[in-house]
Amino acid sequence: MQFKIFYNSCMLLVLCMFLSTAVFAQTVIMSGKVTDNKGRPLAGVTVRFGKSGKEATSTNSSGAFSITTMAGTSVAFRLIGYDGTSMTVRADRNVVVHLKEIDNQMDEVVVRGYVKRPRETTTGSSTKISGKEIQDIPSANVENLLQGKVAGLNIQVNTGAPGFRGSTQIRGLSTISVTGSGDQSFLTPTSPLYVIDGVPMDADRANELGLSQQGPGISPLSLIPPEDIESIEVLKDAQATSLYGSLAAYGVIIINTKRGNSEVPRVRYTGNFFLKTPPQLRPTLGGNLERRLKLLQIYGNALSQEDLDRISQTPMLSDSLNAYYNNSTNWQDLFYATTYNQTHNVAIDGGNQKLNYKANLNYYNENGIIKNTGFDRYMANMRFEYYPNEKFKFTAQVNASLGSKSKGNGLGILQSGVAKNGMTSTLLPGPSFYLASSGYNSALKTRNDNSSKSIKPFIEASYEIIPGLRATTTMSYESTSDNENTFTPAAANGQFAQVYAYYGRYNSLYNRNSINYSHTFKEKHTVFFNLFNEIRTLDKQANATLQARTPNDQFEGPLGFDGYFSKGGGLLRRGFGKERGLSFAIAGTYDYMKKYVVDLSYRMDGSSQNGFGNLYTKNPAVGFRWNAYHENFLRDVDWINLLSIRTSWGVNVMPNSTLERVYGKYDIAGSYNDKIGIGINYEQIPNPDLKPTTTSQVNLGLDLAFFQNRFELTYDTYYKKVNNILFEELLSSSLGFEKVNSNSAAIANYGHELSVMLRPWTEGRFTMSIGANGAYNRDVLLKLPEHYGGQFVRWENIDRYKQHVVFRVGTSTMSNYMLLNRGVYSTDADVPVDPATGRRYRMANGTEFQAGDPIFADLDGNYILDENDYARTGNSQPLITGGLQLNFNYNHETLGTFGLNLYASYTAKRTILNNALAERLQLMNDPYGDRAVVPLDDVNMWLKPGDIAKYPYAYDFKRYSSIDPFRMDQDLWAEDGSYFKLNSVTLSYMFTKNAIRRYGLERLRVYISADNITTLSKYSGPNPENVSTMGRDASGGYPVPRQYNVGVNIDF
Amino acid sequence: MMGCKKFLTVEPIDRLTGNNFYQSKEDVEANIARIYSQFFEKLNESWVMGAIGEARSGEIFPSPTSGTDRMILRDLGTNSMNAVYNNTLGGGRSQGYAMYKVSIWDTYYKVIQSCNILISKLEEGIPGLSAADKDRYKAEATFMRCLSYFWMVRLYGDVVYYTDAYFAKQLPREDMVSVISKCIADLEPVKDIMPWTFGDASQRGARASRGSIIALLMHMKMWNANFDSGNSMKYYESVASLGKELRVSGVHRLYRLTPEEWAKVSKGRTEESLFEFYRTINYNDLNNAYAPLWDHFLRWPYKFPRYNQQFSIAYYSSIFMYRIYPLNGSADKRKELWYEDMYANDGLFVLKKFAANVFASGNEDSNPDNTFMIFRYADALLLEAEALANLGGAREAEAVSVLNIVRDRAEAPRYAGGGADLKNFIFEERCRELIGEGVRYFDLIRTRRILNPQWTMNPMTIDQYNRRAWTWPLDASAKNFNSKIVLNDYWTGGN
Repeated sequence: MQFKIFYNSCMLLVLCMFLSTAVFAQTVIMSGKVTDNKGRPLAGVTVRFGKSGKEATSTNSSGAFSITTMAGTSVAFRLIGYDGTSMTVRADRNVVVHLKEIDNQMDEVVVRGYVKRPRETTTGSSTKISGKEIQDIPSANVENLLQGKVAGLNIQVNTGAPGFRGSTQIRGLSTISVTGSGDQSFLTPTSPLYVIDGVPMDADRANELGLSQQGPGISPLSLIPPEDIESIEVLKDAQATSLYGSLAAYGVIIINTKRGNSEVPRVRYTGNFFLKTPPQLRPTLGGNLERRLKLLQIYGNALSQEDLDRISQTPMLSDSLNAYYNNSTNWQDLFYATTYNQTHNVAIDGGNQKLNYKANLNYYNENGIIKNTGFDRYMANMRFEYYPNEKFKFTAQVNASLGSKSKGNGLGILQSGVAKNGMTSTLLPGPSFYLASSGYNSALKTRNDNSSKSIKPFIEASYEIIPGLRATTTMSYESTSDNENTFTPAAANGQFAQVYAYYGRYNSLYNRNSINYSHTFKEKHTVFFNLFNEIRTLDKQANATLQARTPNDQFEGPLGFDGYFSKGGGLLRRGFGKERGLSFAIAGTYDYMKKYVVDLSYRMDGSSQNGFGNLYTKNPAVGFRWNAYHENFLRDVDWINLLSIRTSWGVNVMPNSTLERVYGKYDIAGSYNDKIGIGINYEQIPNPDLKPTTTSQVNLGLDLAFFQNRFELTYDTYYKKVNNILFEELLSSSLGFEKVNSNSAAIANYGHELSVMLRPWTEGRFTMSIGANGAYNRDVLLKLPEHYGGQFVRWENIDRYKQHVVFRVGTSTMSNYMLLNRGVYSTDADVPVDPATGRRYRMANGTEFQAGDPIFADLDGNYILDENDYARTGNSQPLITGGLQLNFNYNHETLGTFGLNLYASYTAKRTILNNALAERLQLMNDPYGDRAVVPLDDVNMWLKPGDIAKYPYAYDFKRYSSIDPFRMDQDLWAEDGSYFKLNSVTLSYMFTKNAIRRYGLERLRVYISADNITTLSKYSGPNPENVSTMGRDASGGYPVPRQYNVGVNIDF
Repeated sequence: MMGCKKFLTVEPIDRLTGNNFYQSKEDVEANIARIYSQFFEKLNESWVMGAIGEARSGEIFPSPTSGTDRMILRDLGTNSMNAVYNNTLGGGRSQGYAMYKVSIWDTYYKVIQSCNILISKLEEGIPGLSAADKDRYKAEATFMRCLSYFWMVRLYGDVVYYTDAYFAKQLPREDMVSVISKCIADLEPVKDIMPWTFGDASQRGARASRGSIIALLMHMKMWNANFDSGNSMKYYESVASLGKELRVSGVHRLYRLTPEEWAKVSKGRTEESLFEFYRTINYNDLNNAYAPLWDHFLRWPYKFPRYNQQFSIAYYSSIFMYRIYPLNGSADKRKELWYEDMYANDGLFVLKKFAANVFASGNEDSNPDNTFMIFRYADALLLEAEALANLGGAREAEAVSVLNIVRDRAEAPRYAGGGADLKNFIFEERCRELIGEGVRYFDLIRTRRILNPQWTMNPMTIDQYNRRAWTWPLDASAKNFNSKIVLNDYWTGGN
């Protein structure tokens, strides 16, 4: 925290002039020291006359000041990040002034390009939240706790799988690359860059192989305990992010962990005991109800005698006296359970201004609400800072963590096997010693053990060469090893046991060297330069082994086998990697009396991934800021504490070129005339002209705070254009290659972000703050490769979902391409008849529609339902996201302190596809099968001619094969996915010091909290948030649990 | 900055990317081996050699002893190509034949893309390659590219044509005459930089040489002489001079027609071969059991095991056999050396032409280890004779003398005559000499004899001919991601 340190002889002159105007006053000298609460000297504190008068002096690097003026004059001490104080001048040479750190957004310190800067001299858009705001809620993943807290940061907690991440986007869509299909189709994650204690980290690392990934898939973010977090800052616009270069194209999130902060060594303990409960499960008809419904369904809709005869061939229906078929098993209950979990955190810190230290130990244990899944975290973070003198600083930190996870049957995040097994007919007996379905065994008896171990040492040394000029070097190393071991018992795997083992390692070395310089000329002009370079190297390797058909369930290894049973493994595709990065950056800031600020920055990024054509990408940015509240005409307006306007422009360039994409890949393939052939791999055509994706962003922002910061508002509007987006074009067979990576697609995002904070009572016993934030983001597809003529349909033909995506220039980027459902034919006469042939509107297979069938709009008017009847509908990306917060505090000297914190978040204007309902209705397609049936009383369904209904007739099982009334590719499933979610409520009580002193405690606080309490939505499916990034209901996946917690903070 | 560049250069050791390839002569050789093997995949995936050039003429019938899956031969012989497609799909009556794959053209385009990339890399310069090497490889890649186009034109008619490396644009199908003309223009300049031989007997015939280029040029010109009839005389003239160039070079010759000598020719790598896909069991080359044409016309003792190889799968109809070799006709060494039971209308028929090089015995089930001949010297000679005969007048004598080179080798009486009879005789001589080598159907098309029942048992009308009933149906997948592609409408339009 360095600020301008200067002595000015002119000052005396000014003072003299001032003095000469003041008559009858006695001149005194007051000197002393300014410190913070902990007694550390504060440098650069300005001392002003009067409340907002002229600057008199400022403290030197040891916090000392001296002022000569008339006795009785009021002087004010002010430093950014601290509460100002004022006092009356007296003749005293040993004054000690304490400044209290405050929580005022403009006075806070933000980080730009790894350097702390006072917010009032930065021009970019960012939001900082304190670690306090995310504590009290135990969570495996700190990211989930940020939901709804930052305008423009859209976090969807779309999986409850312990240790996995949801989806995170800053300022909208940056990709149009969709992988997977059906409810498993997802957008290529475009997560922000995380900078953790000054070291950049790729949070998508665990996800790069997709959702059903190999390996443990433990997100590196899951290894950071929320208790250890000091602050989180979210950088949104390109001015703020461009200094972080290519990796920061999707925004930056800076996480700083706590520092040693107490002269007296102290021990702080936090413990949480929490309960996780599964959401309400699908209601199912059990036992005889199921049989009766199935029989009624057959009697009512059979078309032939054969259909009736099949009843007697289906023992499940006809042999009701057989004990095997006479059950009412609640299958879902076998897989889901309420679980008890705990987390403990011990932090020890201490030290003084020369040396301080901190150690944090964390244990987190979560048992998944799907049985046989869970996540444990063990983490130790130790840091010490040493300041032998004013010039030299040394910091060392070691972070060691172990994440251990069970993925159940190893299918990863989706756990789709569980949902499928939960649909088993209730008539079948539940699993027992003798009987168990292989699905049940696979989900619950598979032994799956994953671990991710990581150690991260970090050292930083810095030296102030001359006042204002400081050189810093930082070195960190990360070594992670990932393991997965899965043992599948014979009963779960076609009577043969199987062993799978995965081993991956990841090492990265990071070094940063920087020089920064700040200087103030003539009290008015301040310049600041920051010059740094970064060097990264990264190695990774992942191997796997699969031994199929091992001897038996009792023998898990060591195994020796012939090649036949070794079914796979070796180095995994994309498992091996070696990368190097080299970056140079320079940033300069100039401000004139803190009123006018100009920010310029430029960064060059080189990566071994880029290919050799354009080794470096260049990221420039520029920003301006006008701090109107420093202007003379506003200085005296008491109620305006802050009024600033910022604007910025910047570019983040992200290379798309990899050696494979630019030069192609060559494989050994085929041989001819006794020569082994090597030929190009025809998967993708090399594209030497592949341009880097360029994100340019313009931002305009307004910060204001009125009435002693009782009302604060931050508003930002932006236009972000993502150009040269990587677009995988599938190629025609006349080109030999399957696809080409082109980049002629572009998206624009524009929107508004607003955060408001109201603090009606800031002093006294009762304090309260209410905050709200919201972001409106609209994305528009600007460009597609030319030959598509403005539209590209991503047909999904392989899969039963057939939910296609259309990209149409000029419209929302991610739209569904579906049949338009216009209701249900009430009677046969309602079906339109082709006047040319006299036949009714029909399917391409010839089946004519009838009463009870869905009405699909015949867009091409040919009386045949075909692919020309698809239309663009809906937008799977939310338009509006945001959150609310409410904090009450009641502080009584003898009763203690009560607190209530409430956080909520919302998402609005989003189309989601209710595949859950579609699947529920489709359960009716085969009454002879072994699937469960569900009550459909709550569904507005056609039952008899004349009914006007929303949903087609589900009981006619013969229609499923001919017209498929509940086909997935119709907009019947498209629903408004808006929701309001009450994220968390915390009630806390802190004992008074007197009450606990006799127990030797410094602080005792107990609290109860609940998380994911309720979601208000018109959506008829289970949870509008539990959808894939493509807006498709993924409740077949891992549901998001509700959580109740009791916690305690104890300081010794 | 050099240091930075060095730091940022990471050689991907787990994969071979294009920037590390094409660094030596060995890389080019390996790449060329891949190009040949890729093309051969197309010949190996179905009974393509028998189907495209032989069976569609209508003279091949399944033996009475053959199973119903062999009825595909009738589908082919009656030009029921949609039936051929459907019946050979998975689960179809004749799925083993996999003839539907003939309708899928992507492998040819893989070959073309690889050739285009190789040529562009050669132009950029590859370390360690002499100027002569560079010329040879460039000519070789150009040959393979043009062979792919020519092969596709004969199968599909109009095709998409491009020669740029890394080509990724959507093009419509181009008129086949124009495609062939472009191929001729592409191939002619590289003919003279291609050596006749490489001083390595193992590459003779197996690798493209100047003789291969000449043969391909002759074939392409003869094709265009029909479809671009305004310029036919120019084409004939050019074919005649190419043929002369080939003969004068003295590099290629016809082997004597004895069992030993013919075995060498059918094994491959001979001076009689202009271009072939060389296959041998010695290099562990595995051929699809359906791939060789000869599979259908051999029985025990040329195929084993005896108990289930008593009869050939198919035979050439005696009507055809009597036509080309009339009963009690003139002497012809080919009759005795190449056939057994040549007039049998059943599984006794043997096309012994491909029966040499039988390595199997006892209960081993395998085909003779023959090369897949594409262009043979005799083929080029007869093309030259045909071109000369079409030029007529004074050139007819020349035509007869070239024709008689082939007749002499067969120890058949020399031909003397002229006019239309000469042309017909040359056609029949091609039937006799090149039977089973996959040229007859294309000869019928390009000489328009397909319209005349005198020359084929499966004639078509001029309307069918003009609507290209002779093409294969193009697989519908060709339309994917390229809206400009139109399928062969003879086959999509309900015939």
